[in-house]
Amino acid sequence: MNKATPIVLLVLVLIAAGASFGWFLISPGGAVSYQQGTYNSSQVIVLYANAQGWNYNSSNPNPTLNEKLHTLLEFKVIEQDGLPHTLTIAAGPNETTDTSNWIVNVPIPTTVGSVTWVNWSFANPGLYTYWCTVHPYTMVGKLYVNGTANSTSNESAVQFSVHDSSNFDVHYQNSVTYETADYNEQVR
Amino acid sequence: MGFSFELMVFGSTIAALITMAFLLYYFTADYKRNLLGESASSLTKEQSNLLLTKMRREISFSAFFMDDSKSIGVRYLITSIVLFFIGGLAGIGMRISLWFPNPSFLTPIQYNILLTAHGNIMLYGFAIGMILAFGYYLLPSANKIEKDTLGVVKSIMFWLFLIGSLFIIFSKSTATWYFYYPLVDQLTEAGGGTYSFATLIGVTLILLAVTVSSVIFLKMVFLDRSKSIPLSKISMFSWSIVSTAVLVLTSAPVSMIANGYLIYDLINPIFFQAANGQVLGYAIMFWFWGHPLVYIAILPAFGLIYEMLPKYAGVPIYSYRAGVFSLLLLMIFSAVVWGHHLFNSGLGTIWDLLFSTTSFLVVIPSAMSVFNWIATLWSAKSIKLTVPMLFVLNGIVDFVIGGILGVYLADVGLNAFIHGTYAVTSHFHWIFIGLTAGIGFGAIYILFPTLTGGRTYNVPMAKVHFYLNSVGTIMMSGFWLVGGFAGMPRRVAGYFGIFQTYQDAAAVGGVILGIGFLIFLINFAYSAYLPAKVDVRNPIEDEVQVT
Repeated sequence: MNKATPIVLLVLVLIAAGASFGWFLISPGGAVSYQQGTYNSSQVIVLYANAQGWNYNSSNPNPTLNEKLHTLLEFKVIEQDGLPHTLTIAAGPNETTDTSNWIVNVPIPTTVGSVTWVNWSFANPGLYTYWCTVHPYTMVGKLYVNGTANSTSNESAVQFSVHDSSNFDVHYQNSVTYETADYNEQVR
Repeated sequence: MGFSFELMVFGSTIAALITMAFLLYYFTADYKRNLLGESASSLTKEQSNLLLTKMRREISFSAFFMDDSKSIGVRYLITSIVLFFIGGLAGIGMRISLWFPNPSFLTPIQYNILLTAHGNIMLYGFAIGMILAFGYYLLPSANKIEKDTLGVVKSIMFWLFLIGSLFIIFSKSTATWYFYYPLVDQLTEAGGGTYSFATLIGVTLILLAVTVSSVIFLKMVFLDRSKSIPLSKISMFSWSIVSTAVLVLTSAPVSMIANGYLIYDLINPIFFQAANGQVLGYAIMFWFWGHPLVYIAILPAFGLIYEMLPKYAGVPIYSYRAGVFSLLLLMIFSAVVWGHHLFNSGLGTIWDLLFSTTSFLVVIPSAMSVFNWIATLWSAKSIKLTVPMLFVLNGIVDFVIGGILGVYLADVGLNAFIHGTYAVTSHFHWIFIGLTAGIGFGAIYILFPTLTGGRTYNVPMAKVHFYLNSVGTIMMSGFWLVGGFAGMPRRVAGYFGIFQTYQDAAAVGGVILGIGFLIFLINFAYSAYLPAKVDVRNPIEDEVQVT
């Protein structure tokens, strides 16, 4: 037996165990985060996830949304076709493949009728795009957030931060919950 | 969008590079010349095979370039030790995080990732890897096999095993090791994990490796065995590997099929859906493999005890026939008890009673083995309490405690109250740490002169390792047992404050275990670094006087 072998083995075990442990602890979703804005009201937005387009079976597929700043947008995403989808919103006006720019990216379960709540309050006004990373050409819609960034808001609103490790939530949305869908739900 | 296209190009490039490196590796490695030196060209195929079989292989990284059985065994040994420490650190991380009732160190998602990684790596990486290691390492010399063929197949199966382990490590699934359907389909970090399919692919690769290796084990025992050893005289370890291999061959393909269905379900859910009434389908197919897996992990340890115990007791095993009968009966019974994992899933009272009865019947062959060992010790003139023997005795005690706890769990009524509590965790940690890991490391100690090329381990350090291992198991599993019967739920990142005593004691036990295995590692590196001073023979493979 080569004299170096046991030493190499020792170092290999220590490095492998340590690196794997670190890898397990790296939070899924990346390190970059976006701060949510404060809000004093909330707004429910119903979206049906369909590979041919958001709300494809309604009269207004891929709707352009107009929302106010300081509003908690509660996206109620309902799976319609059993295919994998995501609800993704980037920090700019356009779609991007740069995952570090995504401020919202929530996978939608493939069970038909399942409801995924995605809550987000935008910190800055402007034009955003919401899309599905699996079907980026068909499932694309615009989202206008209207208002001025400097206006004061309700101080009691909660600020969420990535670095608050005691917080259970996935980094960039304050809550994602799943429940059974009501099939008679009307599109807004 | 370019996103998936870039990934495809990247992945294809990596795959092409790996394939090229793999082909290069196979066309350049002339393993027989490496092993036999200049005599390789002058020997006939049969002569070189026989020579390779008798050759004592030591732990060395050159084993990764040689295709004889013993080198493959060394490969699995190195890999499974590395995986053991990866999985062990994950376990200790969970213990430390559970020191306080509120999760302080790990978020629940991180806890779930560590939980899944610990279970998958320990079972598929360490337990199966250790069995394959000792099977490949000990079977050729135990059966004095006359030809050592299928080297390329063995080697490819090892690489599949390694790739499968890497898939499991890198996937970061949170679906626990049994991938129940509605959970595994929630492809979020809070659900089953975004990359559950990667874990499933890794597990399936490992299943393929262990299935093919089982065929090779059966071939070694029944076809390649030396004519000088009749079937009625083959070693107990060979019998244990035979029962393990039959179990693998009857159950692992079912799990591979189920994993194939499940991977398809993650893309297009049609198989295990509530609409089909098939939600339990995956669980049933999984446990059809999942329960035999537990016996696959302990039967070779039984065989190793049967080999090691007589060496230090100084007398042959009390009853060879009872031992073989017990191993084969365990093989049969363990294939028909899988339903006891689904007592509370609605299989129906009749099925519950059937599986409860078969689970009780497992006591008979287990007790036969235990009494066989006790009788061997009883008939011994003097027992040498060396480190491997201490591990064997500790393994027997831990197996008795864990096994009796298993009898409690097999009761349908009691199971309704203690399933999903730490009593279950305690049950299988008694057996896995005491028997699978304990006997595995004990066997490394007994093979130490051969594995390290003539070194001896440092006995005081090895004893410290043993005592820390033993005390750590008793503390961790014992307090889990008490807490479990008090209702402490398992698989959760936080707990109610009333359970803090049990959790803290278990955390101390877990850290003690970790320190013990770290001492093993240091002992191994330190002892193997010193110059060689003894013969490379060992008591299991050769007739040498044990000290």
